[in-house]
Amino acid sequence: MNFIFDGFFQAIHLLTTGNAETYSAIIVTVKVSSYSIGMSLLMGIPLGFCLGYFDFVGKKSVRTIVDTLMALPTVFVGLLVYALLTHRGPLGNIGLLFTLPGIAIGQTILALPIVTGLTATAIEGLDKKLRIAILSMGANRRQLFLSSLWESRHGILAGAIAAYGRVMTEVGISMMVGGNIKWHTRTITTAIALETNKGQFGMGVALGLVLLAIAFCVNLSVSLLRKR
Amino acid sequence: MNLPIYEIQSLKHSYENTTVLEIEHLTLQPASIVGLIGPNGSGKSTLLRLMGLVERPSRGNIIYNNRTVEPFSDDARFHITLLPQEPFLMKRSVFKNVSYGLKLRGNTNGVLNQVKEALALVGLPSEDFIHRPWYALSGGEAQRVALAARLVLKPQVLLLDEPTASIDAASAQLIKEASLRARQKWGTTLIVASHDWQWLYEVCDEILHLFKGKIIGTGRETIVFGPWNEVATGKWGKTLADTQVLQVPKPPNKEAAAVIDVLSVSEDGAKKTTDDIILRGTVARLTLERNTDQIFATIIVGTLPFTVGLTQQQMKERAMFPGKTVSIRYHPDQIKWL
Repeated sequence: MNFIFDGFFQAIHLLTTGNAETYSAIIVTVKVSSYSIGMSLLMGIPLGFCLGYFDFVGKKSVRTIVDTLMALPTVFVGLLVYALLTHRGPLGNIGLLFTLPGIAIGQTILALPIVTGLTATAIEGLDKKLRIAILSMGANRRQLFLSSLWESRHGILAGAIAAYGRVMTEVGISMMVGGNIKWHTRTITTAIALETNKGQFGMGVALGLVLLAIAFCVNLSVSLLRKR
Repeated sequence: MNLPIYEIQSLKHSYENTTVLEIEHLTLQPASIVGLIGPNGSGKSTLLRLMGLVERPSRGNIIYNNRTVEPFSDDARFHITLLPQEPFLMKRSVFKNVSYGLKLRGNTNGVLNQVKEALALVGLPSEDFIHRPWYALSGGEAQRVALAARLVLKPQVLLLDEPTASIDAASAQLIKEASLRARQKWGTTLIVASHDWQWLYEVCDEILHLFKGKIIGTGRETIVFGPWNEVATGKWGKTLADTQVLQVPKPPNKEAAAVIDVLSVSEDGAKKTTDDIILRGTVARLTLERNTDQIFATIIVGTLPFTVGLTQQQMKERAMFPGKTVSIRYHPDQIKWL
């Protein structure tokens, strides 16, 4: 048991003394997850709005596919993106393998169905009378879209948090596409996996605490936003 | 006569292959008050939603101020507003709900004063209500806030769908007054669907009676719904609650609706002299029609209401008053089937 407590105290030491290796993994994680969540929100919210708002042929099938993709295994996405970005792959000449944008692409694929699906659920859950109320006030298409989004903001925020949590905590994509390169593409989760294998519990626990702290901050901000 | 504010041409609207509204031609004059009456499912709300440009008709045209319009039409969307039967307030404060339409129009000058004025129009003191959240309002208050959100826009057309249904009497009265004030202040055309016939007859310039998605008249008709039975060999009719028989010619089907034109009202005990049918009933209500000064009597026979138009002279001669027992006379051959 002592090694767990030792790890905990070592974690506090690493964080308070500004250990460069620890902070490098934290910065990489925040950076790459921000890229991927930003991209997935930009694409996923309009897609989710269309999926939840409009009726079209094959809507149920699309919804089933999106719901299935919400449970995508991260190693499978990692494998897929690796296959695309490797020098033998169709996008190999872009040179994104073992880079942060490469990881961000993989994580966007992971987060996109979550944002899309949960936005669609939030939009479907809107009162049907909302559309009539907004249109009867003279809204144009853009205003109808923005007002509907605003009214479903809590559901969309919940989707964004779920997606962010999934992106922050995944290992498969970061490991396979990023390559876990020290100072470069090593994220919190890949660092924890590596350090634990090396028996360095201190850094693992420190990074785990940071993950928890980030999750807490995100949820706290969302909770404050909801109250407004 | 002015150029009509609305012209409806060959309008047809369907939901999943079921036609719910079919109007060949209809024109409405600006600054008029038009009442829509008819049973539930007759197409009143659908017509209001189409005229309010929140739905696109399956077929046909809606012409507003000489231009064909549809949802999102820039020619009309800032001039027409609809208050649906069940008001929907957005998850915002009363101020933000009422000022929402102004924001859509980019109107940022004196918003606070405009909101206060609109709230005053519907009898809500702004100091008490302006900052209230949407969930802290009663049904009647929510309906009045929803109306204030429309009145603040000073609309050219205000469509009201059952504005006083399921709210308290005081709120209903305030809503009626505020709607009429809109017409007085800004020349707003009011189109109102309501079961409050008495109010409609008092205030409307024109009343349209809808039945099964079609305009069948002006609301003075007496419509009796099936089922019809063969009361004697070759004779069809309906036995009423008080055992009198409402006799009709053979209906096209047992569930058909009959339009009965009441020929006259006389003292109880009138003698049958022709092929006319005489039924005994009780005067339930007398309503004055604003435009014609004609009085409409609602006479309950069994449990069925019959509407009869009377001049003031006829009223005096017959000494009509609610509660009086009278005889009504109609001719079965003049019954029309819907």
